[in-house]
Amino acid sequence: MHEMSVAMSLLELAEETAAAQGCTRLMRVRVEYGALAGIMPEALELCFEALTRGTAHEGAALELVCLPLRLRCVFCGTVFGGEGQEARFTPCPGCGEVAGHVVEQGKELLLREVEAS
Amino acid sequence: MQIPVVRNVLEANDKMAAEVRRELASRGILALNLISSPGAGKTTLLERTLRDLGGEFRMAVIEGDLQTDNDARRVSATGAQAVQINTEGGCHLNSNLVLSAMEQLDLAGLDILFIENVGNLVCPVEFDCGEDAKVAILSVAEGDDKPEKYPLLFNLAKAMLLNKVDLLPHVDFDTARARAHATRLNRDLAVFEVSARDGSGMEAWYDWLRRMRETKRAQR
Ligand SMILES: Nc1nc2c(ncn2[C@@H]2O[C@H](COP(=O)(O)OP(=O)(O)OP(=O)(O)O)[C@@H](O)[C@H]2O)c(=O)[nH]1
Ligand SMILES: [Mg+2]
Ligand SMILES: [Zn+2]
Repeated sequence: MHEMSVAMSLLELAEETAAAQGCTRLMRVRVEYGALAGIMPEALELCFEALTRGTAHEGAALELVCLPLRLRCVFCGTVFGGEGQEARFTPCPGCGEVAGHVVEQGKELLLREVEAS
Repeated sequence: MQIPVVRNVLEANDKMAAEVRRELASRGILALNLISSPGAGKTTLLERTLRDLGGEFRMAVIEGDLQTDNDARRVSATGAQAVQINTEGGCHLNSNLVLSAMEQLDLAGLDILFIENVGNLVCPVEFDCGEDAKVAILSVAEGDDKPEKYPLLFNLAKAMLLNKVDLLPHVDFDTARARAHATRLNRDLAVFEVSARDGSGMEAWYDWLRRMRETKRAQR
């Protein structure tokens, strides 16, 4: 739903990263996103393509890598995985607690590599 | 050339949110981000709050909507300052929009800044606007399963208002169930049952506002 604003920030950040190395044309951009980052990959790809079309970056590939969810129970310390938003509120396998799981991995939205010329 | 990096894509929003927070902290202004589905009663709640507490606090409102300035006009009619932001399709406010709206407000002597987010239970939760607390508003017309379906909002909010309780006789909303689910997600959640229309239950909400604002003041 908010993929357009994400794609805009991403493109800006990638351009900045390339420019710092004297590059002006993006060829490939790699992004890692957490399973809970609220990203729909297809939608983000569409937005990225729409934003780069007709620019120097036309045809640049967007590589999206999903980081699986990793939660830690604040009561007993058990670290466990899961799927989707619901996982944050499912019982801890260690003690059964449902609230207060810390998201150790899953909310990231990181630019990890830029290939540019 | 391949350039390895590690940069947070939303860092622009986080940086701007920190700036909002700094500005508000230096002035001791309490900021609340109101989040609900469309039509749950955010603007009606604000209209009544601004009227009832107008003699006690200086308050301002930033209104976020896809289109129109209807809500800003409604809250300005109470005498409070209001700025409208039209997101033109954007499903949430972000800290940059809030910062530019703040530039149009007279912040001197302000006690409370309300941010009425775009009606949506999902996206606004992800974008920090520099607020002290998110406030979830759930109307009894929407069904008591919302905390179950949209857990993140109820997990992160500091308060939940169950609005439109005047309609309870006409709907099958189970307040105990909504309360139980929400507090299971967040044991510190303050819950208020109110009717922004007839004013019932509002005093407890006002007391919460007074406490929050006092705490903020004391931190200055
Ligand atoms: N019966 C009843 N109706 C209410 C109450 N609060 C709000 N309403 C009505 O609900 C409708 C929507 O209220 P708004 O205050 O505009 O809701 P909102 O959340 O600001 O809506 P958006 O900004 O469009 O997302 C209006 O017709 C209000 O009169 C209430 O406590 N009881
Ligand atoms: Mg409104
Ligand atoms: Zn546990």
